[in-house]
Amino acid sequence: MSTIALSDEDRMLQELVAKFVQNELMPLEPAILKREAEGGKYGLSEAEEAPLLAKCQELGLWGLDVPEEFGGANLNPVARMLVEEEVSRTIVPFEFPPDSPNLHMLMAAANEDQRERYLKPYAEGRMKSAIAISEPGAGGDPAGMLTRARKDGDDWVINGRKIWVSRVPYCDFIILMARTGEGKREEGMTAFIVDKGTPGFIIEREIPMIGGRRTYELVFDEMRLKDSQILGTLGRGYAPMQLRLNVRRLQMGARCVGISARAVEMMCEQAKSRVTFGVPLADRQAIQWWIADAAVKIHACRLMVMSAARTMEDGGDVKNEASMIKVFATEMATEIVDRAMQTFGAMGMTKELPLQLFAQQVRLMRIYEGPTEVHRMAIAKRVLRHGKV
Amino acid sequence: MKLLVPVKRVVDYNVKVRVKSDGTGVETANVKMSMNPFDEIAVEEAVRLKEKGVVSEIIAVSAGPTAAQEQIRTALAMGADRGILVEHDGVLEPIAVAKILKALADKEQPQLIILGKQAIDDDMSATGQMLAALLGWGQGTFASKVEIADGFATVTREVDGGLETVKLALPAIVTTDLRLNEPRYASLPNIMKARKKPIETVKPADLGVDVTPRLTVLKVEEPAKRSAGVKVGSVAELVDKLRNEAKVI
Ligand SMILES: Cc1cc2nc3c(=O)[nH]c(=O)nc-3n(C[C@H](O)[C@H](O)[C@H](O)COP(=O)(O)OP(=O)(O)OC[C@H]3O[C@@H](n4cnc5c(N)ncnc54)[C@H](O)[C@@H]3O)c2cc1C
Ligand SMILES: Cc1cc2nc3c(=O)[nH]c(=O)nc-3n(C[C@H](O)[C@H](O)[C@H](O)COP(=O)(O)OP(=O)(O)OC[C@H]3O[C@@H](n4cnc5c(N)ncnc54)[C@H](O)[C@@H]3O)c2cc1C
Repeated sequence: MSTIALSDEDRMLQELVAKFVQNELMPLEPAILKREAEGGKYGLSEAEEAPLLAKCQELGLWGLDVPEEFGGANLNPVARMLVEEEVSRTIVPFEFPPDSPNLHMLMAAANEDQRERYLKPYAEGRMKSAIAISEPGAGGDPAGMLTRARKDGDDWVINGRKIWVSRVPYCDFIILMARTGEGKREEGMTAFIVDKGTPGFIIEREIPMIGGRRTYELVFDEMRLKDSQILGTLGRGYAPMQLRLNVRRLQMGARCVGISARAVEMMCEQAKSRVTFGVPLADRQAIQWWIADAAVKIHACRLMVMSAARTMEDGGDVKNEASMIKVFATEMATEIVDRAMQTFGAMGMTKELPLQLFAQQVRLMRIYEGPTEVHRMAIAKRVLRHGKV
Repeated sequence: MKLLVPVKRVVDYNVKVRVKSDGTGVETANVKMSMNPFDEIAVEEAVRLKEKGVVSEIIAVSAGPTAAQEQIRTALAMGADRGILVEHDGVLEPIAVAKILKALADKEQPQLIILGKQAIDDDMSATGQMLAALLGWGQGTFASKVEIADGFATVTREVDGGLETVKLALPAIVTTDLRLNEPRYASLPNIMKARKKPIETVKPADLGVDVTPRLTVLKVEEPAKRSAGVKVGSVAELVDKLRNEAKVI
């Protein structure tokens, strides 16, 4: 259900994605859960993924946020949020292709040559990429990073260590954040594009995480890059990196709404059919209040996401809203999924239901793209500065 | 040749309908509305005929409130070429809709009109048949297969006890059954294209049709709740109960 008036196109797109999720993704859920429960990889097999990609191609569900010049649909932010909410209703790990979280950063910062070499193939789904910001000593506070690039003749020589980097094994290039200037904080930070296989770029280890995720620790040992690998302006890499994160934070809000809405649906079904002490759980105030609170919060969160998406569409700055959404949405989903699990009793603890995977995924979301407390700090700083909201 | 395909705005088939507390009808406020599923099948069949080159233009028509534009837009995204909204708030009985469609058929001169066999809201299954009578055209209702060739429509109909095949001279009326086809999803590029397709809005009066209801709804009520069944332990017990208690075998 939508909370704001939608254009006919956005409404039909939402229906299209809802049908795709219902008819193509949901049927795969039991097999994915079973495999994960038996210790296998949490993911789609090639045999499962190929027909989905073919279907996406047929339906034009391809390059949703990609500009038209690269053959994409260039959807407005509102439409993208509608898509994100629908596709998050299942634990089937499927992203509408291409899988391109760095698109916006590349679009904002790539020069002509890099547009041809990286942005175009990336936008068309022929290349994949990762982004390496976090370090063992600098995560929630990325401005504290130590990885350094020094100039040596024509080359930049990079030394340092990155950690928690997603998508590494299948990426063709990474965007690497490193210090080039004298500044100690945001200033003097530069983004580099590093091709996989560049000498001195070492994948140190794989780190298994909850929610079926894997991240990687990377070492850069006297790695040499040319000037042409600098993405954007020397010493000004921080702002485009932040730009990337704003979009992702709104998407995370929409994702939390999708997950929570699914959890509530499951909760309702169970509450109406499960009888304890002679009465359906749905007749108990304890359960009713969980459902009511969930409905209130989901409504609020949808409005937050849609309002920020509209602002973004109009070219406004959503940094503050993005922080608020990140905090509110992830805590909301944490609570709602947990209550859904509780409603199911022992069944809620099993790996036969998707709820436990949702719970783990939502748990991760309170850390990446900026941990909750750091967002709270940023919100408070702004409010204190103005002395009002 | 031109093809007319009427599409009705109805409560979505996934919604559990509730009777209004005053018993005058079912609750439609704040309920998800969609295209009648049988009409989706009709649109799909129309688009397939166009893809085969049999049909040159598909006109999607809806009679109903302003919001019924949404259903026309969906038909356009599936492949219809243009839309006509016959705007009317309030009840439209099958005879009124049939008269509206007759007026449009007189104006547009389609060779074929494909309708759903019924709408899932009131399940009347009457509009197609009434329209055939008003136009004096042949009708192939409950179609599970439609073939158009040499000025004729050959329609396979699902009837009790099997399949019946009728051959109709065009122009003709077809109403769709569930097994006729599986409607496509409107693809994203087609959704975007649909934005540019025209929808004309007219009122029933513009077509010279009086839509005043002829029927009076006395009361709408929920079906009686089914009482709980009995679990039997074995097939033998089941047969025994059917024979001696229910006395049906
Ligand atoms: C699944 C996953 C995928 C990831 N993928 C990537 C990736 O692709 N690339 C990449 O570069 N990084 C990635 N990360 C790393 C992520 O960005 C960092 O984990 C995150 O920024 C937090 O940094 P940290 O882990 O060092 O925690 P810290 O910064 O050490 O924070 C630890 C705790 O202290 C709290 N805290 C920190 N500062 C304050 C403060 N001022 N006031 C109050 N509390 C505070 C935090 O909220 C947190 O709870 C990923 C992480 C995860 C979990
Ligand atoms: C790890 C684990 C090990 C277990 N091992 C065993 C074992 O060895 N042997 C065994 O027999 N069982 C075992 N159990 C089952 C356990 O005892 C039950 O799961 C527990 O009693 C709850 O029952 P249920 O799962 O049917 O949930 P339900 O009774 O269906 O309860 C579901 C939810 O409804 C709530 N609820 C229920 N009634 C009310 C009410 N009146 N008012 C408000 N809320 C209500 C509950 O608090 C719960 O949140 C195990 C469970 C787990 C998770």
